[in-house]
Amino acid sequence: MGLASREIEAAGISTICLSMIPELTAATGAPRVAAIEYPFSRSMGMVGDAAGQAAVLRAVLDALATAGSYGSVIELPFQWPEPRRKAMGALPQPPITVLCKRKPWLYFKLLSGEIPLPKQTGATR
Amino acid sequence: MLISGIALVDSFKFLDFAARKLMKAWSDREPRRPPVWTPLKRPLAQSRIALISSAGIARNDQPPFDQDGERRNPWWGDPSHRVLPRGTTERDVRLYHMHVETRYGEQDLDCVLPLRRLEEAQQAGVIGSVAPSHYSFMGYLLDAGPFLTKTVPQIVARMKSEEVDAAVLVPA
Repeated sequence: MGLASREIEAAGISTICLSMIPELTAATGAPRVAAIEYPFSRSMGMVGDAAGQAAVLRAVLDALATAGSYGSVIELPFQWPEPRRKAMGALPQPPITVLCKRKPWLYFKLLSGEIPLPKQTGATR
Repeated sequence: MLISGIALVDSFKFLDFAARKLMKAWSDREPRRPPVWTPLKRPLAQSRIALISSAGIARNDQPPFDQDGERRNPWWGDPSHRVLPRGTTERDVRLYHMHVETRYGEQDLDCVLPLRRLEEAQQAGVIGSVAPSHYSFMGYLLDAGPFLTKTVPQIVARMKSEEVDAAVLVPA
């Protein structure tokens, strides 16, 4: 997200990244970050909560208009209305998680950023 | 690197232990990059805005994102994108990101791609106009190379042709 925003910004279009992981997004060098403490899968708000989603969008647009310099991180004042466990729910197990559970040493490769090239993993693409 | 400016928002609150470790390790490893900055060319109330979602949203009349490719090679993510015309709703799409709960966005697309909320912002005079096209890609890309060198330039070219002033990137 942050790296994409840099490319877009460099091409002459202003950007703002809403982020639930603002430390990572800011670390990639995103020009403007709007930080929000919301769960994954629902970054704008709860299903059907038009007023809540509108408030988040307005805050993001405000941050876009007022962020004055590169690397601005604007913290949005919203609190998710559900407890953490309930908000997280049962997230799906993506293929990389399943693989790392089967071969735990691969998690450490992931941690160190050693991403195997397609040939090494025997992938078809 | 702890970004000292982030005081209130816990970047890792909704992550489990393993994912939290990963995100912290990845944040620490990011190199310092040179600044890029394009000031907003006109006031927000006159600006044309496009949305970009990482939820892997594809319209039902478009090819789906390649989930099988990621199943075959869990280190790989589909680096392509889909163009979502203004007016797209949850009735028109499916979400393909395999790392998030897709049913919320399929019930109410504005949870991850606030197109209706953006229309309201235009009606209220907060923004100038809603762009004709919006965009989505798959948020899981360990190797962002092909996405950054091929996909993002296509998105940029289309945004330029539609005279977009600013892009709001919405994570999933």
